[in-house]
Amino acid sequence: MNKRLFTTPEGVRDIYDGECKRKLDLETKLRAKLHLYGFEDIETPTFEYFEVFSEERGTVKARDMYKFFDRDGNTLVLRPDMTPSIARCAAKYFKDEKGPVRFCYCGHTFINNSEYQGKQKETTQLGCELINDSSVIADAEMLAATIDCLLEAGLKDFRIDIGDVRFFKALIAESDLDEERIRILKNFIVDKNSFGIKDLLKDENISEELKNILTNLPQFFGGVDCLDKVSSMTGNKDALLVFDHLKALYELMKVYGFEKYIGFDLGMISKYEYYTGIIFHAFTYDVGEPIASGGRYDNLVGQYGKKAAAIGMTIVTDKLLLALSRQGLLSKDTDKPVEIISSERSQSDAVKRAVELRREGKSCTITYNN
Amino acid sequence: MRYITIALAKGRLAKQSMKILNQLGIRCDEMNDPDTRKLIFEDQEHGFRFFLAKANDVPTYVEYGAADIGIVGKDTIVEEGRSLYEVLDLNLGKCRMCVAGPASAKESLNNGSLIRVATKYPKIAKDYFNNTKHQTVEIIKLNGSIELAPIVGLSEVIVDIVETGSTLRENGLEVLEEILPLSARVVVNKVSMKMEQERITKLINDMSAIVS
Repeated sequence: MNKRLFTTPEGVRDIYDGECKRKLDLETKLRAKLHLYGFEDIETPTFEYFEVFSEERGTVKARDMYKFFDRDGNTLVLRPDMTPSIARCAAKYFKDEKGPVRFCYCGHTFINNSEYQGKQKETTQLGCELINDSSVIADAEMLAATIDCLLEAGLKDFRIDIGDVRFFKALIAESDLDEERIRILKNFIVDKNSFGIKDLLKDENISEELKNILTNLPQFFGGVDCLDKVSSMTGNKDALLVFDHLKALYELMKVYGFEKYIGFDLGMISKYEYYTGIIFHAFTYDVGEPIASGGRYDNLVGQYGKKAAAIGMTIVTDKLLLALSRQGLLSKDTDKPVEIISSERSQSDAVKRAVELRREGKSCTITYNN
Repeated sequence: MRYITIALAKGRLAKQSMKILNQLGIRCDEMNDPDTRKLIFEDQEHGFRFFLAKANDVPTYVEYGAADIGIVGKDTIVEEGRSLYEVLDLNLGKCRMCVAGPASAKESLNNGSLIRVATKYPKIAKDYFNNTKHQTVEIIKLNGSIELAPIVGLSEVIVDIVETGSTLRENGLEVLEEILPLSARVVVNKVSMKMEQERITKLINDMSAIVS
């Protein structure tokens, strides 16, 4: 028999047995949490025109998307990321809405990256987006929703690191580094490679203060005290405004009672170019990658025709489940359905009994046994 | 205390790295036993675990978080292109990634003609010729004795690690261009760095104090 009938392509998988139920239960719980924050459910198509996700939007690289054509020759892609779709919806259906719009979603995303063997190409993302609100409260709500969801899932030991893309932008605006240098510098910062930065900036004509802060940027992460440490190192006005914002945000997180989950990482630069303000990642033990991420993207909705500030977050439910299972935090399923054995003669009794049980909300099966 | 797992690239580098760790009081005498069949070694007192892996696999272990920290050459890090923090240059095993070949091949590197390049590092070679030199090349992936390729006419030049250059000279080859300097690096998993910030940062600072 053809082998292909038995296996799935690399990077996609069947989810069955208890895992499927656990996944659906988790999604239901998290959605309910997001409803408490006023997010409304939305579904967008699994595939869309390529233009929705193309390079200028700053999402996934074009070569990492699954592309195909429709009958008219238009290029379509399987969505690699949910945020652009939601932004497109917001711009289309809420064009004249001035007040905040809140969406939550749960859907599959597809990234075609052959270099990442051992990583799934189809993942489920559950998240929310808050559009038309640029306030620090909106930032705080988004972080709180993320933390609330992770707690609701049963996770105990995790940390959310917050960065702000404006910090690096403010610093770099002071210098006259060319685009290529900035690209290399960004890569070094992403890799937390201080010695690389030092080497790169050695002969550049920029102030010692800036050199010092850029070289040490990879070490600027940790608790809230790292903000004060860094803010004393720079006189850059725009950079200092970022600190004010982050501190205000931290104060609000204290009010939620969530400050113990919060950390800061000023050397955080997102691979998604559309972010314009705070960005964050949630980490936990036993999975080598973030289980949730998010950030502010004030220019993205505008690209679809409506100027609007926005912030969002996404939880990768597959990774969250993996973390829960590796940390032994998944509850065991104990309620197996009641099994009613029926013989030829007792068929009608068995059915009656089953109807009764189900009316009481108990699950049961009928097994024929002669 | 959770174990912090360190992946070491097998060979000379692993021995040199253990020496540095020994200086910090992190010991694992079992590892020096040549007869041992164990794959993973522990320093229970300090909460560290070690294992030896093929150099190319070290970045993979670290990216997926199977190891929190890895010690491996820059050549492997660039070639594998994994998502990692590269936090410390150990200044060990210093050498260079070079384009080498017979002196007669120099011209073909300057006039942009199509040439064949033999290498163990196809990614590094491709990136260098496409993005730095803007030259169209045919890359031929080999697994060892790269110097052989230009001698027997498999390729015009090679891209390989050069330490002293004596193997090249003995075979009538020379360094034609330098691609990047290499040395051993400490890499850290992106999540471990955050979840075990205190212990990992301390370890790196201590190591840094020894090597610089």
